[in-house]
Amino acid sequence: MIGIGEGRSGLRWLVLALPCAVLISFFAVPNVLLLSASFMRSEASVLIDEFTLDNYQDILSGALFRGAMLRTVIVGLGVGALDVLIAFPLAYFLVRTQSRWKGLLIALSLAPLLASVIVRTYGWYVILNRSGAINQTLQGLGMIDQPLALMPSTGAIIIGLAHALLPYAVLTLMTALSAISPNLELAAMTLGASRWRTFVHVVLPLSLPGLIGGFVLCFSIAISAYATPAILGGPATQTVATLIYTFMMNLLDWAVGSALAAVLIAASLLLLYLASKLGSQRTAL
Amino acid sequence: MSLARRAAGPWRALRWTVAVIYLFMFGPILITAAVSFNASNRSQFPPQGFSLRWWGNALSEEWLEPVLFSLQLAGATAALCVLLGAPLAFILTRQRFRGREVLVALTLGPLMLPALVTGVGLLQFFQYMGLRDYIGFPSLLAGHVVISLPFAVRTIAISLHGLPPNLELAAMSLGAGRARALWEIVVPLAKSGIIAGAVFAFVHSFTDVNLSIFLAAPGQIPVTVKIMGFLEFGFAPTLAAVSVITLIVPLTVVGIMQWLFGLGDFIYGDARG
Amino acid sequence: MGTRVGEAALLLKGIEKRFGLVTAVRGLDLAVAQGEFVTLLGPSGCGKSTTLGLIAGFFPPDAGEIYLGGRHVENLPPFARDIGVVFQDYALFPHMTVAQNVAFGLKMRRVDRAEINARVEEALDLVKLGGLGSRRPLQLSGGQRQRVALARALVVRPTVLLLDEPLSNLDLKLREEMRAEIAALQRRLAITTVFVTHDQGEALAMSDRIAVMNAGAIEQIGRPTEIYERPATRFVADFIGRTNVMPATVGAAGSTQVSLVTVQGATIEVATAHSLATGARALLAVRPERATLATAPVADALSLRAEVTQILYLGASREIHLTLDDGPAVIVDLANDGREPPIEIGDRVWFVAAPASCLVLPA
Repeated sequence: MIGIGEGRSGLRWLVLALPCAVLISFFAVPNVLLLSASFMRSEASVLIDEFTLDNYQDILSGALFRGAMLRTVIVGLGVGALDVLIAFPLAYFLVRTQSRWKGLLIALSLAPLLASVIVRTYGWYVILNRSGAINQTLQGLGMIDQPLALMPSTGAIIIGLAHALLPYAVLTLMTALSAISPNLELAAMTLGASRWRTFVHVVLPLSLPGLIGGFVLCFSIAISAYATPAILGGPATQTVATLIYTFMMNLLDWAVGSALAAVLIAASLLLLYLASKLGSQRTAL
Repeated sequence: MSLARRAAGPWRALRWTVAVIYLFMFGPILITAAVSFNASNRSQFPPQGFSLRWWGNALSEEWLEPVLFSLQLAGATAALCVLLGAPLAFILTRQRFRGREVLVALTLGPLMLPALVTGVGLLQFFQYMGLRDYIGFPSLLAGHVVISLPFAVRTIAISLHGLPPNLELAAMSLGAGRARALWEIVVPLAKSGIIAGAVFAFVHSFTDVNLSIFLAAPGQIPVTVKIMGFLEFGFAPTLAAVSVITLIVPLTVVGIMQWLFGLGDFIYGDARG
Repeated sequence: MGTRVGEAALLLKGIEKRFGLVTAVRGLDLAVAQGEFVTLLGPSGCGKSTTLGLIAGFFPPDAGEIYLGGRHVENLPPFARDIGVVFQDYALFPHMTVAQNVAFGLKMRRVDRAEINARVEEALDLVKLGGLGSRRPLQLSGGQRQRVALARALVVRPTVLLLDEPLSNLDLKLREEMRAEIAALQRRLAITTVFVTHDQGEALAMSDRIAVMNAGAIEQIGRPTEIYERPATRFVADFIGRTNVMPATVGAAGSTQVSLVTVQGATIEVATAHSLATGARALLAVRPERATLATAPVADALSLRAEVTQILYLGASREIHLTLDDGPAVIVDLANDGREPPIEIGDRVWFVAAPASCLVLPA
């Protein structure tokens, strides 16, 4: 890499000036503003220049906030677990199949990413609401008299989000699984391991970083998702994200809204740290 | 050698499992599409009768305007992401320098932090910097560029990563200046990555909800935000039809780009970055 | 060697394998005796790796039977066949140490802990990797990984050891070293071995018998000397070593002797196992190192007029390229005996081969 590695420093920063300016003004500064706002008092959307921890005290003690945070964690865990569980067989199939449709099947499995999460959630509303597909079917079969209250509920939020985020888990797991040579499975079998033991001793341990990665990715997107909880949940099933929207846009209490957002930032950074910890143990061979 | 290894039984079970998973993936989307042709005014499935009146509503001025707004926003986002992202990607893949790690963190930061948080932060930024008049298209554009930039940078970086640096050295050894080597060797070879980066930025912008809900202004509303607003009043089949339109737009863009340039490798490659 | 079917350690009968429209193996029969080292040799796509995969049980044959140690196995999965496989890319488990890799097969066979440890150590010593058990595969060199793969396959004392181009990822010097070492180890352990390669040098050096494969079938099987000295077909003659081949016509055919008329009308009596009719077309084959050059025709030997087109000095020998008058280009290897042969490009010479150095092949 002679001549490429160094480059001229002055020229480099000239080229980087514009992207850096954009990222600093529209990403770094707003986040700093948000963090500082979370330590201020506010009256409506006007902040009062006075340091306070009240906002955090509020959100850590209020039942509404604690309920929402707990629900958000449950949603994250449920979505993460459901997604790696569903994505694993699909990713394994897509990596190992020799079908001539392989390319198409992979494209199809990722295609939902092209649809806004609203499109993907709308269908679940149609399926789960009081007069939705499930209730109609069950009533038609005479299995229930009254429609089931399938939504709004935390379960509906988990299913909707798991559905929306599945492609992320599939991508992560495919990357992990495609790094496992099929010869390793063959080798295990020639050494006397049954298919099940091959899976447990070879495939599973080697795909563990992918499983963790997929779980963490889905978890972290799920805890900050707004649209799905807003559509499939209700006032009784608030998550942190829907609360942030309520406080910012409806109640205009920006200080509390900012403190809630700061909690999401903290959670995201913690997850990143955990993921890199768990991931690096496996890759640092 | 390629040694296929599969026992008929377990593999067949896996295929059935996969078929069920695809049904799970596409069922709700197909149901949304079916509902938009519903004759009744409730979002029912299976649909009652057949009607195009919801599509008539969806294609009226009221909904075409936000769709066009989203298109302009996504187009501008894609263009800016390439302009800002290509130099970033090039310098990050090719050079080692002091401050590089900070630059990486700054570039990928919007991917690490929730878009919703960035939206809240930007709302305050425009408010407190005395820029509240710019809330609307300008604030949305700033937000969309920031959250889409990591996708563009990564995709372009992947295409640059596959290029041996020797190619540039060879060009320079043949007398091409640094800029010439870039323009005549690197840019053409990274073309598909650059286009893929633009497409990802476009799709990311067009489908965003989490950031846009904080930054829209009257008359300057992306279609996804407008749908969210209407959902509070119920799930009229018109919204199903509009949802399908928001699916068709990125699908068409990706289809055309795939047809013209072939992006398949990058869709997969994006997860590795 | 004459293997009787009843005592074969490995027996393939009428094996067929198709992948879609491609027939990879067609009607293959092979018997490998206990302790024998048999090489499947052929160009890529000849079906040798597929045959190995069929023996290992990576996929079932479409027709035919496979017996391992007298056991009918073609419907058994790989883990029920009692085999040891060394893969081309070694297929070492990257998440396990060297010792865990070697122990894997024993663990699957539920061998008790103490015995596993003893046998792993023994196997690692056998491949000269004693003391490296706690390393990870990625920390090893290519040659060391190869040895781990070998130890892992051998430690379970399989009925048959299957080697799939195990040397192809090593550099030349290491490859020659490992070639000798694997051959010695195989003889010492007397383990029945099937070795797949496209490298004729490895095949000749290591094998008890070589099966030369072409287009999914065995073209010829025999000891290395038989394969090299008496190739049965033009394919074998071309694939193993180099051969000068020229068209010929059968003058008079006896049962073991045939008289051939070659390009320039020269006639030569050659021993043959092929039954050829008088007047039939045939091929005359001469190895470059079995031919020589002369300034005049030699009695009782094939002598053909030729012109020298190129001389390559190779150290141990000189490679002389010639064009026969009215005939194809041929090559003669002259061993280096310390004297410079008095030849120059453009010289008119005689290409000479004794009858014993000539082979008849069916056209």
